[in-house]
Amino acid sequence: MSLLTTGVSALNTSQASLATTGHNISNVNTDGYSRQRVNQATLLPNFEGRHYVGSGVTVGGIERLYDEFLSSQVRTFTSQQAQHEAFATAAGQISNLLASSSSSLASGFESFFNAANGVANDPTSIAARQVVLSEGESLTNRFRALDNQLTQIDSQLDSGLATALEEINVLARGIAELNIAIVELSSGPGGRPNDLLDQRDELINRLSAFVSVSTIEEDRGSVSVFVGNGQALVVGFTQIDLNTIQDNSMNPPRLAIGYGTNSIDITAQISGGSLGGALQVRGDVIDSARAELNTLATSLIDSANTIQQQGVTLDGNIGSNFFGPVPPATAVAGAGTIFVAITDPRDIAAAFPAAVTTSLTATGTGSLEIRSIGAAPPLTLPLFGVGADIQLTFDAANNQYMVNSGTNSTIIAYDPTVDSGKTFSLTAPFAELTIELSGVPADTDQFTIGNNTAAGDNRNALALANLQTEKVLAGGTQSLSDAYAILIADVATRTNRADINRQTQQGLLEQTQAQFDSVSGVNLDEEAANLIRYQQAYQAASQIITVSNTIFNSLLQAI
Amino acid sequence: MRISTGQIFQQGLAAMLNQQSALLKTQQQIASGQKLASPSDDPVAAVQILNFERESNLLGQYLSNAETTTSKLSMEEGVLKGVTNVLQRIRELAVQGLNDTNTQSDRSDIAQEVLALNDELLALANTKDASGNYLFSGFSSNTQPYTSIGASYSGDEGQRNIQVGPDVLVETNDPGSAIFEAERTQTVVTDNVGPSSSSLNVTSIGVNNIISPAVTISFAAPDTLTISDGTNNAVVTPYIAGQSVVLSELNTNFPDLTLQLEGSLANGDSYTLERQTTPRNTVFSTVNDFANALISDTVGSNDSPNNGDFLTNMTSVLETVIDTQAKIGARINVVEQQAIISEDLSLSVKETLLSLQDLDLAEAISRLSLQSTALQAAQQTFVRVQGLNLFNFL
Repeated sequence: MSLLTTGVSALNTSQASLATTGHNISNVNTDGYSRQRVNQATLLPNFEGRHYVGSGVTVGGIERLYDEFLSSQVRTFTSQQAQHEAFATAAGQISNLLASSSSSLASGFESFFNAANGVANDPTSIAARQVVLSEGESLTNRFRALDNQLTQIDSQLDSGLATALEEINVLARGIAELNIAIVELSSGPGGRPNDLLDQRDELINRLSAFVSVSTIEEDRGSVSVFVGNGQALVVGFTQIDLNTIQDNSMNPPRLAIGYGTNSIDITAQISGGSLGGALQVRGDVIDSARAELNTLATSLIDSANTIQQQGVTLDGNIGSNFFGPVPPATAVAGAGTIFVAITDPRDIAAAFPAAVTTSLTATGTGSLEIRSIGAAPPLTLPLFGVGADIQLTFDAANNQYMVNSGTNSTIIAYDPTVDSGKTFSLTAPFAELTIELSGVPADTDQFTIGNNTAAGDNRNALALANLQTEKVLAGGTQSLSDAYAILIADVATRTNRADINRQTQQGLLEQTQAQFDSVSGVNLDEEAANLIRYQQAYQAASQIITVSNTIFNSLLQAI
Repeated sequence: MRISTGQIFQQGLAAMLNQQSALLKTQQQIASGQKLASPSDDPVAAVQILNFERESNLLGQYLSNAETTTSKLSMEEGVLKGVTNVLQRIRELAVQGLNDTNTQSDRSDIAQEVLALNDELLALANTKDASGNYLFSGFSSNTQPYTSIGASYSGDEGQRNIQVGPDVLVETNDPGSAIFEAERTQTVVTDNVGPSSSSLNVTSIGVNNIISPAVTISFAAPDTLTISDGTNNAVVTPYIAGQSVVLSELNTNFPDLTLQLEGSLANGDSYTLERQTTPRNTVFSTVNDFANALISDTVGSNDSPNNGDFLTNMTSVLETVIDTQAKIGARINVVEQQAIISEDLSLSVKETLLSLQDLDLAEAISRLSLQSTALQAAQQTFVRVQGLNLFNFL
């Protein structure tokens, strides 16, 4: 009888092996599937008085070929790769936006200041002035369009974040449900439910593409999943939801990540995965780019308005603000709100409110030029009240200018041989002016500084055109265009770095995945060989039955 | 190492995808002709490109400013050339008119031409540019600098600068007051009220005629004429009324003037000869006064206003105009120099830009063919490897 049972045990075991091989073959393309193997073991031998006779084979267990360490490595690299990819994609979008010639501020600045040069070349031309206004409009449009695009990218990230949180919750719920099933099935004597374990690992892998997670295996076979610095998504059989909360501290408001029913803000703790990448882009790229654009906008508003308010318009009035909104300190001024505040081209203040007249009797070669007007803008006209004109009379004997204005007087020492071309400052009680004295004046030569409303004066227009290269930002070290170039460099470098990191992580992920697959993946050739092997075993086992039958028949015939 | 079937498939697929994306990038580069599709491809080059583009734009602006400046200065130069011609013609007419052989009607005829030329001169001073702005009124480009022959300058002293290079500003206009005005000199004879009714005539004025300091001529009975300018003295004796005295012959420090004392001379008669300078008189009123003197035939040395100095005054205006022309020439020179510098820089900036921006086509095309070969190889390998399966033999 024992030969028959031995044969049957061999048949059963081969069948199980064939079934497992078939299972492996059919799941060759199933995501997260780990190949299984039947561990065959000999049955307990029968003691026949003096020796043990083998009694066949049995299925010792069906093993899942799986490496916990490699699996967690794959998750880590998946998280990092997804993070850098999300960052590189969004930051690349922003750096293209900033550098594209159709939206770049660099070309906007160029056109605007070219137009300002046009007014300096021909200050009375209404056409040239109109061009400055139009180019100003186009420059402010560029500012606003960039700001708007950043807001749109921000809201894209917001909606991506909301979708990601929903996915995370679905995945976490799936893990919790699988935990229940696995604990239930593992409690029996039948070994572990390999396929459910695979499904759970696959869910955790997918979770790691959204956010970096850590897992702890509990006693009874369930797994707890944590994000951030220890916020549990799944503990045993329960799952805790992540949800979106409105963060109103930002303008415009954006979404943050809330944890649990109380929606505690855990945005700052989240890292890794596409979620971590998106949060990093928001902080490192969008916020800093927007801050820089706002700085540029307020600086342009400030500088252009200051120049404008120190000059005189074509109609002889002091210039009004070129750009709005003002004052930047109270109004919400920045890239999103900047606009051109003047509409009449005549209102561009191209002239200086002060001019110099040389006395008719002057015979020397001395000259006086007004370099700048020191009083805080906006200036009030007339700059010099009645009798407040400033007279500078040269005293050749003492090498000095006697300065008089009404009843006030002072002295500027001026030695023509060494001081020619130097600038001097006039301060209160005189009108605050910086003047340049040059040449060799004769004794009693007189200059009078008085009001000017002449239309053909281009000194203030030159000041506006000079703003192109003037270093008005970062403590006087960067011009507007410099600062914009630095912004592009910053975003482009970050994108570039993220892309390189993404490639690195991709490479690591591929290697680790290959190692993981080398342990857990199905190889069809191997399975085909196994198929043949177990088929042969099955055929052989069948022969055992046949032999057993034959010898039994022989016995019967012998009777 | 054990390889799984999925791995073989993934690896083959990844190889093809990588080759494809590299190929696409090269294709994009060739299509656009640019090295960088996005600044993040090479942030350093991207920012350099941005800076060079800005530099190139700035240089372009300087060049266009230089063109504007040159055209403005050339226009001014042209007008001043006309002014010089007119002034020279007036001077010629003056020399002709001062000639003693002229009758009053001759002089009147000459004066008519001088007056017509003076009108032309005024029109030149009131020249407008293409935009209708007065050339010679400083910043007050809407104000006519000289409204009439007798009017004084109505403009201001403003000089518009145009930037033709970094920190290089060039003046593009000159105020009329610096061109059409010069000091006017006049020889004045003062009778120091001597006892007799004699008079002093200046009969001829030589080239070296500057009277500085004043020269005193006094007569002492019976026949001594003393000439003194404070430091140099000369005595003519005997002197009879009507006798001509050439001062520069008496002492080389004296001006080149020929004098006559006429009438009955008495002891203590004394005259002072001095040169009065009127600062910055317009050339129009100077010419006008002279023309009027020609009409009334009062161009003698003693006539008031004394027009004997007219030629000196004309010379001084001419000098001012020619000086201004020289200044304009110098400015045009500066602008041209600066334009050459800007053009050179612009060229080299553009070359650098090209090398940063533009794709090396030969390199890109050979890269493309290499990449397409690689892609083809990846595809063929994929098919070949996928075909290898034990099941095929079962």
